[in-house]
Amino acid sequence: MGLSAYLTLAAVVFSIGLFGVMTRRNMVGILLGIELMLNAVNINLVAFSRFHGEVAGMVLTVFAISITVAEVALGLAIVILLFRTRKTAMADHVDWLKG
Amino acid sequence: MTLEVLGFWVLAIVLVGSALAVVTTKNLFHSVLWLALALTGTAGIFLMLNAEFLAGVQILLYAGGVVTVVVFAIVVTEKLVGTRLAHTSRRVWLGGAVAAGFLGLLMSILAGVPLPMAPIPMTEDPTRLIGTAFLTRFLLPFELLAVLLLVSLLAASYLARPEE
Amino acid sequence: MGSPLDPFVLTVLLTPITIFLLLGLVAPLRRSGRLAAWVSIAGALTTFGAAVMVWRGVAQLGAPVRRVWTWLPEAQGALATVGFLADEQSTVMVLLVALVSLLVQVYSLGYLSDEPDPALGRYYVYQSLFAFSMLGLVLAPNLVQLFICWELVGLCSYLLIGFWYKKPSAARAAVKAFWTTKAGDVGLLIGIVLLWRHTGTFDFDEMRLLVEGGLVGLQGLSVITFCLYLGAAGKSAQFPLHVWLPDAMEGPTPVSALIHAATMVTAGVYLLTRMAFLFALTPDVLHLVAWVGAGTALMAAILACAQNDIKRVLAYSTVSQLGYMMTAIGAGFASAGFFHLLTHGIFKALLFLGAGAVIHAVGTNDITQMGGLAKRMPQTMIVFLVGTLSLAGLPLFGGFLSKEEVLAAVWAGGLTGPFVFLLTGTFLTAFYMFRVVFLTFFSQETAHAGGHGAGHGGHAPHDAPALMSVPLWVLAGAAMAIGIYFTLNHRETPFHAPGWLALVATGVALGGVLLAWLTFQRRAINAESLARATGPLRMAAAHGFWVDEGFIAVYRGVLMVLARVVGWVDRYIVDGVLNVVSAWTVSAGDGLRRVQTGKVQDYVVAVAVGVIAVVLWLRGAM
Repeated sequence: MGLSAYLTLAAVVFSIGLFGVMTRRNMVGILLGIELMLNAVNINLVAFSRFHGEVAGMVLTVFAISITVAEVALGLAIVILLFRTRKTAMADHVDWLKG
Repeated sequence: MTLEVLGFWVLAIVLVGSALAVVTTKNLFHSVLWLALALTGTAGIFLMLNAEFLAGVQILLYAGGVVTVVVFAIVVTEKLVGTRLAHTSRRVWLGGAVAAGFLGLLMSILAGVPLPMAPIPMTEDPTRLIGTAFLTRFLLPFELLAVLLLVSLLAASYLARPEE
Repeated sequence: MGSPLDPFVLTVLLTPITIFLLLGLVAPLRRSGRLAAWVSIAGALTTFGAAVMVWRGVAQLGAPVRRVWTWLPEAQGALATVGFLADEQSTVMVLLVALVSLLVQVYSLGYLSDEPDPALGRYYVYQSLFAFSMLGLVLAPNLVQLFICWELVGLCSYLLIGFWYKKPSAARAAVKAFWTTKAGDVGLLIGIVLLWRHTGTFDFDEMRLLVEGGLVGLQGLSVITFCLYLGAAGKSAQFPLHVWLPDAMEGPTPVSALIHAATMVTAGVYLLTRMAFLFALTPDVLHLVAWVGAGTALMAAILACAQNDIKRVLAYSTVSQLGYMMTAIGAGFASAGFFHLLTHGIFKALLFLGAGAVIHAVGTNDITQMGGLAKRMPQTMIVFLVGTLSLAGLPLFGGFLSKEEVLAAVWAGGLTGPFVFLLTGTFLTAFYMFRVVFLTFFSQETAHAGGHGAGHGGHAPHDAPALMSVPLWVLAGAAMAIGIYFTLNHRETPFHAPGWLALVATGVALGGVLLAWLTFQRRAINAESLARATGPLRMAAAHGFWVDEGFIAVYRGVLMVLARVVGWVDRYIVDGVLNVVSAWTVSAGDGLRRVQTGKVQDYVVAVAVGVIAVVLWLRGAM
């Protein structure tokens, strides 16, 4: 299998994640979409690393995974906080910045 | 069709199918489980790319850690609100069009670029190389990562602290 | 370069400014009032002494003393210089200024004795500044220094007219004087700059050399001399810019004597005398000067007949006499005008100070409320009479020869029209001055209002104290001395005076005296019927020939209409454009506001679309 197959797969997964981020009403659902997008990025990184014989891509993947974990933890904390204050988990109910 | 190609297609179908399920299923809890499957599929892709260490990390951190945390969050918030969380989508057509457009764009870019067909063999075991890189070339980012994790840990527990 | 006279000239210039700075900066000294006055008077005395030395020195030397220092350096030599040019003209003028200034300062100490101390100190600060500015103006070797001093004397005039600034009429008169003279000064400034472009110098001597060498082009010179004349007309109260001078009488009487009779108002005449060599190149402007001068002289004389305020009579008389000087200059014989300036400075200061003594004694300006003061104030009567006879131009008195010289100059200049005007003016001058004399000092005694104001309430009017009477006697003596001296030693004039002129002038003046005597002393002619006989002229004179009204009409009719138009344009066009633009901005902002939904996912969609658009655009560009 060539590099393009992996990249195409990653692109599909990324687009699906983007779709989720744009359409999901629940904030936890949005977070799940973001996870998918990051996963697609990781696939890209590892694939490039493998096809170029360069280990840096894999190292960056480890970074990405770790940072994602941190991001999820913070994101969920924010969701819980919003729950407490606004009694909702719906992203479209949160529009304090409406012009 | 070689075994490798077959394995790739199987993994690809699992990955794409579970990803689609994540963004379309009506039940939030199911969504999370589908995500776990997608992440595991990704780990399979990593295995195919000779990145065994990453596959392990993926399973442990993502499929294990992240999914567990999300499930916890769902449970906690449902308890707070006292009702089951609705998990519907809005503006599916607009989102679908934009996502499809984005995919089309990526595809057209990929189609126009010559890409290598075969992997270049690593000089050593990738896991060993990753370990070496962490402690040499990427030492500073590695240490900073530790700091970042600590900070986000503190921040998360501060934000989600019980109300006084 | 240096001359033995330099220290004296510098004393003349630097003493007043030193006194001014001393009094102005040392507040306790200024607030002490009388001490400040004596310091200032001592300075004026020093100045006068030095002025005498300079005058005699230059007369003996027979050549001008000139000294300049570079002020604004430039590659081709100094652009502007400061210094002094002490020649025959300027030293005589300096003598006049220093003398009148000294006498007025002494006189003021008596006249303003009721003023509070700080106000008195302030008065002497202004007086010292005025003395410096006027002397600097007279001695100026170039137009730049002259202009600066010109503006300084204007400032002093403003400050001193408005000395009783709590009186609304005085404050208004000060502002009016300032603005009216400024209107002329704009012309002067433009003229100076144009002249500099034309000749490349500000310096009088250099300019004179250029003119004598025929190096000054006549092209456009008329405009320049006309602009210079505008400044002179404003300062020397020529029609129609004369309106400020009668109102300037709101100031203290000694100020009127010094600034608005003897010195500052003659600055315009002095300027034209200084620049006579240049004006000689533009005969059309000289004609204008003569006709305006003669018209002013006659008009102001008529106006003086219709006034009941003694100071306003004198003010119009000053305007009239300035017209005489201007006419002589316009006839091309500046020396005659300058001679009249000098004698007029003496006897008009005398008249004002005498009038001040009368006002001080009876507490009113209205001559119809005076009468029979000759018995109570014999000294004042005598000196006032000397001044009146001088002004009326009767033989042996100060004004006789100078006025005759002016008339002769105008006749020799071939200006028949102005000559008739001036001769009529001579008749009227005698008439209105003796009207004042008869109504004030003779005729029946009327009930005197107040007397001295509240201070001496109840006292009958009496002669002024020594501080005031000594200057009066000095001036009266000077007026007589000038008259007698020049009767015995005839001045050489560049023109020939016809023999009948002196007789005609004297006869006309005597006719005016006679008419005044018949009307106001003998009451042989009823004043009312005389007034009625002049008909509409009388009414016009009572309203000052509607010059003020004319200015107001110009203001209302032109400026206000213009302001309305400009205001309309501003309100509906300039503001309108801005309002439309701002309304568009507001509505556009209101529309764009809706783009910001505040919902995170809308922003995500926007980012995704944006990324697609940017990539497509980049690929299209590649």
